[in-house]
Amino acid sequence: MARIGFLVNPVAGLGGRVGLKGTDGVADEAVRRGATPVAPAKAAEMLRALAAKPQARLLTWLTCSGPMGEDALNAAGLGHDVVYRCQPPTTEEDTRKACRAFLGRGVDLIVFVGGDGTARDIASIVGSVVPIVGVPSGVKMHSAVFGLHPESVAAILADFVGGHTATVDAEILDLDEDKYREGEWVVRLYATAKTLHEPTLIQTGKLMFEAATEEDARDGIAEYLLEEMDQAPDTLYLLGPGGTLHRVKQRFGAGGTLLGIDAAKGKTLVAADLDEAAILRLLDAHPVAKLVLSPIGAQGFILGRGNLELSPAVLRRIGLRNVVVVATPDKLRHTPDLRVDTGDLELDREFAQKEYLFVVQGYREMKVHPIRG
Amino acid sequence: MEKRRPTAWMREEYEKLVAADLDWKLRVLQGPSAPRSIVDGRSVIMLCSNNYLNLSNHARIKDAAKRAVDTHGAGSGSVRPIAGNMNLHEELERRIARFKRREAALFYVSGFAGNAGLIPQLVGEGDAIFTDELNHGSIIDGVRLTKAFRFIYRHNDAADLERALKEADPKFTKLLIVSDGVFSMDGDIAPVDQIAKLGEEYGAMVFIDDAHGEGVLGDGGRGVASHFHVEEKIHVELGTFSKALGVVGGYVAGSNDLRNYALNKSRTWLLSGSHPPAVTAACIAAIDVLETEPWHVERLWENTRYYKKELVSLGFDVGNSATPITPVMCGEASVAKRLSERLFDLGVFALPIVFPMVARDKARIRTIMNAGLSREDLDEALNAFERAGKAVGLLK
Repeated sequence: MARIGFLVNPVAGLGGRVGLKGTDGVADEAVRRGATPVAPAKAAEMLRALAAKPQARLLTWLTCSGPMGEDALNAAGLGHDVVYRCQPPTTEEDTRKACRAFLGRGVDLIVFVGGDGTARDIASIVGSVVPIVGVPSGVKMHSAVFGLHPESVAAILADFVGGHTATVDAEILDLDEDKYREGEWVVRLYATAKTLHEPTLIQTGKLMFEAATEEDARDGIAEYLLEEMDQAPDTLYLLGPGGTLHRVKQRFGAGGTLLGIDAAKGKTLVAADLDEAAILRLLDAHPVAKLVLSPIGAQGFILGRGNLELSPAVLRRIGLRNVVVVATPDKLRHTPDLRVDTGDLELDREFAQKEYLFVVQGYREMKVHPIRG
Repeated sequence: MEKRRPTAWMREEYEKLVAADLDWKLRVLQGPSAPRSIVDGRSVIMLCSNNYLNLSNHARIKDAAKRAVDTHGAGSGSVRPIAGNMNLHEELERRIARFKRREAALFYVSGFAGNAGLIPQLVGEGDAIFTDELNHGSIIDGVRLTKAFRFIYRHNDAADLERALKEADPKFTKLLIVSDGVFSMDGDIAPVDQIAKLGEEYGAMVFIDDAHGEGVLGDGGRGVASHFHVEEKIHVELGTFSKALGVVGGYVAGSNDLRNYALNKSRTWLLSGSHPPAVTAACIAAIDVLETEPWHVERLWENTRYYKKELVSLGFDVGNSATPITPVMCGEASVAKRLSERLFDLGVFALPIVFPMVARDKARIRTIMNAGLSREDLDEALNAFERAGKAVGLLK
């Protein structure tokens, strides 16, 4: 029996319908503007789809009282233990406390109904200890832990029971809502967590399957980039955020960052966690530079989500042809298009005009992949 | 410290496979692989062998194998380059070349050995290889053994292949395009004409693995290159005797240069014992049969057309197959598994193909037509499909 911690953020998504672009810290304001909850319906939809599957019987549910999970499980007729009691109206503190309770009870997986804000709160407590899967119900869902829709989360859970899922790293991104309400669009990368993922183990042609693990694929990519750096000792390599490139950064020894932009030259780390000004200064000193990026989050953005330090000025200095994109085959298969949102329409257009980028997906292995602005 | 148990991991790995229902459960064929076979003690209509033309039971081929044991013995005694190169092997290669209308051919232990042994010798450091994302595992393994740069292009998408060629053209020395001719899961055919044209345009070598096109497509079963009339533009045609030709063993056909180079460089060829006389003689006889008895291929296609048409009129979805490989789409894995079990109970042997071999919502029964099935056999199989399809809710 798999133990699932189930959490509904009853206020997730409230801000969307009333033009608040998010609900973090403004749930009261959203309700005043006439917002009605969306999370309960999404929770019900997922549980209904799951209850119809035979695997549902093999799950044990731990949840929170009332609107934070209990009500939805009752409605779906699924037995459960309440391990955390909340006092509505709920806040992000309730989410965090519930997650501590889940960890205390040794859950195998946390399923939540919410958006990026909820994902962030959960990740701040569970980190990489327990995988998390989100039923999309927020205003913003940039993070890579969400199923496409409630039914697909039910399908992932059924696969999880059958042992058909893999655990992979996922970026937790969120719009900085304070900045946004001041008119600035900044999606930041806050953390990486673990999520479940239906691995595409396809090896057609024969009745044979094999899983090239995410780790192996990252090692292959790292190996290739290091070889390139070796052959171009005068080129400055700017390495973007995310788990894939973190594997490269780890090869330089201590100091590389998971969430930031680091610079390397000749296989040595030159600087870490750079902001825009620092990048521009480095580019002054290093006329030849390459920028290595990996798609971040669920939507395939290589620029404009989680790496705002890479401003249009930085990109123009480096030159589009010196942008290298890397992604593991698994990630690429789940990313229909690469996307950019540089904040500079002309630059976005130049990327979109390329139509396709060559993505490094392993050691000396490339795949043509579509890109749009 | 606890003493290490050196092989305990094997059972652990196996148990994981069993728990995930990903282990192979082997069925046992009691007697020959025939249109009607005995499988696990039951007489069934065989719909999942690769024995397209039923040549594995052909009297002339069986006789040739028996005679070769008398004249040449049970084994070859060595690898080909040392002391195991018999006149039978040389004759077979001349016959393959003649049949394929190419200068020369080289016979390998298997098609897998051909791909895994030759691909890594055709390209290396500074070269680029272009490979369809759904290519067979033996191609993937061959590609993995090279130092060449790999471009993976979208399945059967010549435009995507060209994008990759264009990108690679100025940067690499040799270029090699590799594709299956017929893809064995869906039975779809690669755009070999367009691939050949692109190969010509960019000066790339073109390598086609025609394991499922051999004996099925083209003039007299000469394969996919013949089907598209582009033989001279395909630099390496890889084929196998284990499917339509009813025996076992792989080969490559092409120029004299190809043969001379491959036999000096392919480690799977140089270091594998050569085929026994019975197998080699049976392969020669299989080519004899294809050259002199055209009706086997004709019959295969008649059966295929009838079977597909009837499946569709029963209400089944047979995907986009263009060959005797006929998937019966089921959607959910559980439906495919139940359909296969029902069919077996009704005397039809057809295995389900489910995730992770195909996408989760694309579970299917993969059937393969056989020239040796009579119209009555087909009607019986179709009847079983109808009953089983209704029982599992796939048909109304």
